[in-house]
Amino acid sequence: MTNQLDRPEIAEALEAAQHRNGGYLTQDAMRRVAAELAVPLHHVHGVATFFPHFRVEAPARHEVRVCVDLSCRLRGGATFLDDLATLAGTLPAGEIAVMPVSCLGRCDGAPAVSVDDVSYWRLDRDGRDRLVGALRTGTALPVPVAPVPVAAAHADPYPSGTPRYAALRRLAVSGDAASVLATLKAAQLRGMGGAGFPAAVKWEAVRNAVADEKYIVCNADESEPGTIKDRGILTTAPHLLVEGMAIAGLVTGARRGIVYIRHEYAPETVILRQAIADAYIEGVLGASVAGSRQVFDLEVFVSPGGYICGEETALLEALEGRRAQPRLKPPLPVFVGLHGKPTVINNVETLAHVPAILAHGSEWYVGKGRAGAAGFKFVGISGDVERPGVYEVPFGTTFRELIDGPAGGMSGGRVLKAIVPSGASSGFLPARLVDTPMEWGALAKAGSMVGSSAVVAVAEGRCMVDLALNVARFFARESCGKCWPCRVGSEKLVHILEDVTRGQGDGARLGTLDDLALTLRQTSICGLGQVVPAPIASVLAHFPDEVAAHVRDRRCPSGTCTMTGANG
Amino acid sequence: MSELIDAVIDGQDVRVAPGTTIFEAAQRIGVTIPTVCHLPPQAPAGVCRVCCVEVRIGDRPPERAMAAACARPVEAGMVVTTNSEKIATARRTLVELLLADHPSPCARQRESQDCELESRAIEVGARADRFPTSGAHPPPIPGWTATDDSHTHIAVDHAACIMCDRCVRACNDIAHNDVIGRTGKGFHSAITFDAGRPMGDSTCVSCGECLVSCPTGALMNKGFGDALIPGQPVPASILVGLRGPDGGAPLFEGIAPRFLEKTLGDIGRNDGAVVQRNFAAGEVICTEGDFGSTAFYVMSGAVEVSITAPISRVRNDAGPFARFARKMKSLLTSDADADRDPAPGLTIPIDAPVDLSRARPVATLGAGELFGEMTCLSFYPRSATVKAIEPTVVLEILRPVLQILRRSKAFAAQVDARYRERTLETHLRSIPFLADLPSDFVDRLRERVVLQSFEPGQVICAQGDPSDGFYLVRLGFVKVSQRFPGGELVLNYHGRGGFFGEIGVMSGAPRMATCTAVDHVDVVRIPADEFRLMLDRFADVGEAFRAEADRRDRQNAEHGALTASMDLGEFLDQGLMQAQNLLVLDLDRCTRCDLCVQACATAHDGASRLIREGLRYDNYLVATSCRQCRDPLCMLGCPVGSIRRRDTLEIQIEDWCIGCAVCAENCPYGNITMHEFDVTDSGTHAGRRKAATHVKATACDLCKNLDANQDPSCVVACPHGAAIRVENPREFFASQKTVSRPEHS
Repeated sequence: MTNQLDRPEIAEALEAAQHRNGGYLTQDAMRRVAAELAVPLHHVHGVATFFPHFRVEAPARHEVRVCVDLSCRLRGGATFLDDLATLAGTLPAGEIAVMPVSCLGRCDGAPAVSVDDVSYWRLDRDGRDRLVGALRTGTALPVPVAPVPVAAAHADPYPSGTPRYAALRRLAVSGDAASVLATLKAAQLRGMGGAGFPAAVKWEAVRNAVADEKYIVCNADESEPGTIKDRGILTTAPHLLVEGMAIAGLVTGARRGIVYIRHEYAPETVILRQAIADAYIEGVLGASVAGSRQVFDLEVFVSPGGYICGEETALLEALEGRRAQPRLKPPLPVFVGLHGKPTVINNVETLAHVPAILAHGSEWYVGKGRAGAAGFKFVGISGDVERPGVYEVPFGTTFRELIDGPAGGMSGGRVLKAIVPSGASSGFLPARLVDTPMEWGALAKAGSMVGSSAVVAVAEGRCMVDLALNVARFFARESCGKCWPCRVGSEKLVHILEDVTRGQGDGARLGTLDDLALTLRQTSICGLGQVVPAPIASVLAHFPDEVAAHVRDRRCPSGTCTMTGANG
Repeated sequence: MSELIDAVIDGQDVRVAPGTTIFEAAQRIGVTIPTVCHLPPQAPAGVCRVCCVEVRIGDRPPERAMAAACARPVEAGMVVTTNSEKIATARRTLVELLLADHPSPCARQRESQDCELESRAIEVGARADRFPTSGAHPPPIPGWTATDDSHTHIAVDHAACIMCDRCVRACNDIAHNDVIGRTGKGFHSAITFDAGRPMGDSTCVSCGECLVSCPTGALMNKGFGDALIPGQPVPASILVGLRGPDGGAPLFEGIAPRFLEKTLGDIGRNDGAVVQRNFAAGEVICTEGDFGSTAFYVMSGAVEVSITAPISRVRNDAGPFARFARKMKSLLTSDADADRDPAPGLTIPIDAPVDLSRARPVATLGAGELFGEMTCLSFYPRSATVKAIEPTVVLEILRPVLQILRRSKAFAAQVDARYRERTLETHLRSIPFLADLPSDFVDRLRERVVLQSFEPGQVICAQGDPSDGFYLVRLGFVKVSQRFPGGELVLNYHGRGGFFGEIGVMSGAPRMATCTAVDHVDVVRIPADEFRLMLDRFADVGEAFRAEADRRDRQNAEHGALTASMDLGEFLDQGLMQAQNLLVLDLDRCTRCDLCVQACATAHDGASRLIREGLRYDNYLVATSCRQCRDPLCMLGCPVGSIRRRDTLEIQIEDWCIGCAVCAENCPYGNITMHEFDVTDSGTHAGRRKAATHVKATACDLCKNLDANQDPSCVVACPHGAAIRVENPREFFASQKTVSRPEHS
């Protein structure tokens, strides 16, 4: 059955074919890949047209991708896009293609743009002008800002100079997996990718599963607008991820680990690969982990792109060389995962916390938290703040402490209007909830979630309907198209919200939102579809007057929406 | 045996085997859960979500999201609710979302009022206008169109497609044909055939499984309209069980019976897509040169295949004094002719699994054999005359049915087996170098050769590829082309009996040219190892192939050099630069006295090959013997392979030309003329293209045959010096200041 073809080589083969064929895949190129791998041609074509990294049309000389998502929208992304599009219009066809794209993972350096897959961020006005100038004149492009390390005061138990991989070495010698599981349980380590599932429970399930092969997969595909924390860890302490995965391998009996990383993180991939190579040299990876008889190999798989790949079963589909369409659950990946084998899928941060917990003990870890939460947390903050970036803070820190502390306060002394607690899917909370601790229970009570700790601060003067539309567009753009509710529902939601921002909002149509939200939440196969209605639902709940102004008065209180429908 | 599982559905207890889905369990207790994308025995896809149900397991809180009943297995202690207000809302909304963009009524609803989306809409009380319409579907891939009418009997309307995945599973999981998949992403995803081809250009085997699986009007049966053939229709119910003559697998194995019925019709409107015809000994089944669109499959009996046109060609009037004096009666001759290249090989390739000997162009075919495929698939004229030699039953089949057959694995296996057993030997021997190949080696090759089919436009091997074998054409035409910095140059076309790929196999170097199927092509591939073994073992064969390879190599290099040196824009586009010899009429001097035409006619059996309405360049009219076109279209489609290029690249028409005129129609410069002869005994073929005279193709030969050292008749005849023979066209036109050179940037 086509939907069970397992050909991990497809992505690599398509990449090579694309490279050989002048940057895109012709019919013949796809036919050859199909013949080479003995898979149906439609399967190769389906994969090639699903992932944004593959093209079936000849590309322009320069491809410029401009992020249009939340943090970039707040920081001049639209203007940047217009500038670049204007420039492209003045050049001969085929010179520069400017494409609005989904989040590039550089929210703390917004507006972000990538030129021929090289990401540019932290561009001030001058930097942007220089980039546009270089594209116009065809001269050498400026050098992009290199990845910036973040402070990992608690997470890294190995101050510079001390030998790494101590926890792993201890486990390799003792073989005491049970005590590792007990420690992680006591530390209350939960999944840091969004769902918050207890890590030790996953590990234990895979450990107990009887299978000839098991896998540890690290999800380094954070792609939700605002989500950048894993990028910070990959830049700063990739050895923690390597160690966490090897420990997971030893605990569960898996002999192979794969880091699934988004292709926009090219510089971070280089850093990670170096860390893995170093670990092999140190003897903590490979045929004999830290001198023991245990095997653990670790490799990197670069995603051909798309937010949906961050959904764990979609990620597995991509790893097996198929369109990244989420699987029907059950079965869960801990029972039937990669290549049908029991598989641990953990977020980068979850795995990176393991060495510190094992080094210092669960009590120490739990004590680092606040407001009833255990441990510390890497948080990405972007939007209308002075110092956007990734910070390690105690779990349970409030939004106010984060914004006024490490993030340096609101940018330009503006007033906070709303908080996005965790990226596009978490909805918008009003400023009055700024003292809510970033912690599982408190955020759930506020109707949101810890998610991937992607905080976006929104200042007064921003239009909430516009932002809800922005987020809805992201989900529609990133829907894989497998199940009806998400494929069609996300598109219709955009349509309905576009009408509202044009002053053509229709009461009857808005009346369908409840049914649409119920259907998306209840019947979508995966989390992407289930959260599509959250942003607009939160705006309706917390900013009802703003929506009413758009619909009833055909007026945008912040003057953002053009309201073309008002006159006609 | 595993223990049974207890659960509760809508308050009723159920006990089921592990792996039973909620949908199946509910069905067992009489609870019907509505579905759209679920179509047992296809594995559930769980994409439409219309079968959503609420689930709670034991004492745990109710599950956050609903489950798809079609896919979710029943678990111990599961409590399922299949109907609630929430569920009803979700189902209604799901259908409403799809209705917003569904053409209503779609083709299926119009035809049979049973579009499943519309039926479901009525059941769940869905309204079509609740959600905004998203308008035209932007193409998910370049070149995509919303309606696709390219397939012979399936009409595709993507607008009516609801992406239920049923056709995808039908094509892949049920029929194992692996043609239909998904393309694009999100709202703009669509079903696709192969790599985004129109369905008719895809490798679809017309098994029909997708069509009978489609819930809407997205995939509809087109029927055959008026294209039916007279005869005794064979109903689908009989076709389904039809076996080959050896009692082998059913011919239509793997084809959905419901599809055959729908397509071929016990329902009346499609009768006649396959007819059975009975012939008495001596009756003619088809005649060479006829146009047709059917193929024949011999059920029983035997037929004789022959070429009845005289094996001969138009010979020029050789008398030097007679040139202006008298109109010679035409002579049909098959004498050896010093000026002509000898035709390679001793066989005439035709549109049947047999080659005719040139000495005696007659062969027989028996039960289980198929002929007329090229006529049927690509509309070439019939290549030979076929007569029954004993009471014979044949199936005459229309193109769509032939395509079903060709792509049926069982049928292909049968035809291929017969080919290996009966035809391979004569086919191999049709290559002159292999005429004497020992039989034991042929036997060795019988099971080692690879039989492959290609669709129009498909690349058989590409320039730069590793050389994997030697190819011999069984059916259709193959274009051989080479990439040059300035573009692509067509080196040759190979029809049945043509071969290619020997250069790369012998040198071990990558392919030097790209070979592409022009139409439906079948080839025999001798794997590289076997081919090399053959050359090593038989010195003569090796030598002959090496000589041939050298010759082709040299020719290609010359041609390449010629092309590389061209830079005269339009001049080049018109093909003038490629000519080695041109006949040019200076229209400024020409008084239109017509003496040149008369002279030409006199020299050529009364039929002029000079057309004064030819291509004009500036004030010259250009008539050339052959331009050695970049793309020699005349080579394409000759049903008997009687037109070929000489070493000088000019065309030569072989003696067994059957006068079908395909080459004359294909030549863009009008340089091939059809020439009629008064020949007796042709019989009458009412309503057919072929007249009661024999026709053969001819081309201007610059009167070479008359006297190689003398000017052509037309030049001699022109009293005004307007007819000029030009030996070096490039120099000639470059020296004429009148030639306007297009500007190049």
